[in-house]
Amino acid sequence: MIAATGLTRRFGSMSVVDDVSFEVSRSEIVALLGPNGAGKTTTLRMLGGLIAPTSGSVMIDGVPLTRATGTILRQRIGFLTESPGLWDRLTVRENLAVYAGLYTVSNARRAIDRVLDILELTDRATTRAAELSKGLRQKVALARTLLHEPQILLLDEPTSGLDPEVTRVVRRLLDERRAAGCAILLSTHNLDEAERLADRVAVLQRRLVAIAPPAVLRRRLTTGRVFVRVTGEPAAYLNTVRVFDSSATVEAGGIAVTLGAPDRDTPPLVRALVAAGADVLEVRSEIPPLEDVYLHLMKAESRS
Amino acid sequence: MTRLRALLMKELLDLRRNPATLLPVLLVTVLSFVLPMVIVLIVPAVTGRALGTDADLAKVSAIVGEGGGLSQNGRVQLFLFQQFLMLFLLTPITGAMALAAHAVVGEKQARTLEPLLATPITTPELLVAKVLGAVLPTMAISAIGLALYFTVISVAAEPGVPRAMAGWRTLVVIFLVGPSAALVALQTAIVISSRVNDARTAQQFGVLIVLPLMGLLIAQFSGSLWLSAGTLALIALGLSGVWVLLVVVSVAVFDREAILTRWK
Repeated sequence: MIAATGLTRRFGSMSVVDDVSFEVSRSEIVALLGPNGAGKTTTLRMLGGLIAPTSGSVMIDGVPLTRATGTILRQRIGFLTESPGLWDRLTVRENLAVYAGLYTVSNARRAIDRVLDILELTDRATTRAAELSKGLRQKVALARTLLHEPQILLLDEPTSGLDPEVTRVVRRLLDERRAAGCAILLSTHNLDEAERLADRVAVLQRRLVAIAPPAVLRRRLTTGRVFVRVTGEPAAYLNTVRVFDSSATVEAGGIAVTLGAPDRDTPPLVRALVAAGADVLEVRSEIPPLEDVYLHLMKAESRS
Repeated sequence: MTRLRALLMKELLDLRRNPATLLPVLLVTVLSFVLPMVIVLIVPAVTGRALGTDADLAKVSAIVGEGGGLSQNGRVQLFLFQQFLMLFLLTPITGAMALAAHAVVGEKQARTLEPLLATPITTPELLVAKVLGAVLPTMAISAIGLALYFTVISVAAEPGVPRAMAGWRTLVVIFLVGPSAALVALQTAIVISSRVNDARTAQQFGVLIVLPLMGLLIAQFSGSLWLSAGTLALIALGLSGVWVLLVVVSVAVFDREAILTRWK
């Protein structure tokens, strides 16, 4: 649904986004991760048709995003900006009504009622935006993004600064939109969120450092350490295990073993233990958290 | 059209919630109403000297012609009420300048511009909605003031003056010159608002726009400029053309990217 090819943006001589290519498909959430100034917002703005790339191209549903097609294509996109950007003197309903008009939504009243209901804002409909908390403002901004039922969502830090309750509402909502077939690209600093929500994670540091499902990224940094818990005394099985790793040790009531290729070596290890009479309770591959992977990638990128 | 209407609705709602922003327009309208009434009706009544007895006024007011058999005093009143009518219609624009100058830069400062630009709204729709958001309330206030202006004239002016006022010239001034001048001045302010990055600068530049209007008014009161209904209609047509041109210019100079990426 969204395809960025060789996307580059320079401001003067400074390159903010450099040769970034990726796609976001229907029913997929891709999380853009990167430090401040990595080009996340600029990338989202280019994909949303707010600014033009210096070079490269964006395709939305197979249509090139240009100045000429921008107006039509923006109708298909729901763009959540970094700041909620509500008109303070207008009520929640009035804010949404203006946007319903801007997106030429038919039966605006029903559409507004629908998004108010989805985001649990119905009782706030007549509250002026100025009187809303930060979390509620963000919810209204999200409601505004969904008003015209876009098939593409571009979300700039949708849960930034929100309390856990509102964050959960937003995450549930994104899950629902994905299930409904939306292509969703969100930028976030929250690695836990990226891991929970995203089908793929794109690590950006001006250029695309990596893009893959979170599990695949984590496996890239795997240490190969596997922890096996058995009934009885683990030390009794050390000799069996040391066939696979001569330095295997007993740790925390189990056996810690380092395998050259965990995916390949774990099944024979388990078979060997069972053959040796062990009752295997748990086999856990020690995979680093996404945070470690992210920091590793950033460090490697800054070295290069 | 739907998008233009939607944004215009926002502008008007915003003004309704913050009527203080229209206070300058209201004050200028009140002043424009009080000033001719004091000069044409109250001062002569208080001093006991009819305006028609002033040789200079009698001389400049000859420009209005016979005025349908008006007395000398009636001719002077007709001249002054006609001249003040122009003031009445043009000066509220000065009050609305701040409104228009704030239109784009205000959205940017309130951080409401980016979500707006992310919608399918086109630049002409955005800019025309912004100018109408400043013009319509200004014209509405002017219309109320105008009703009051003619009510007082019909009650307190010399017999025959109200009938002489109700001519083509008055209609052209009210319905053509006033709105077209407002559109030109406020669209210029919108152009400025799209190019500067803070509201104060926009307002300072906006003040410059009222200078030609002031020049026109001074020329009128000196009696050196009396425009017929036909000439005024041509001026209104010219101003409408200038407005269309200004819309084109404002669209051309409205740099979405620069506004989003360089304005802080």
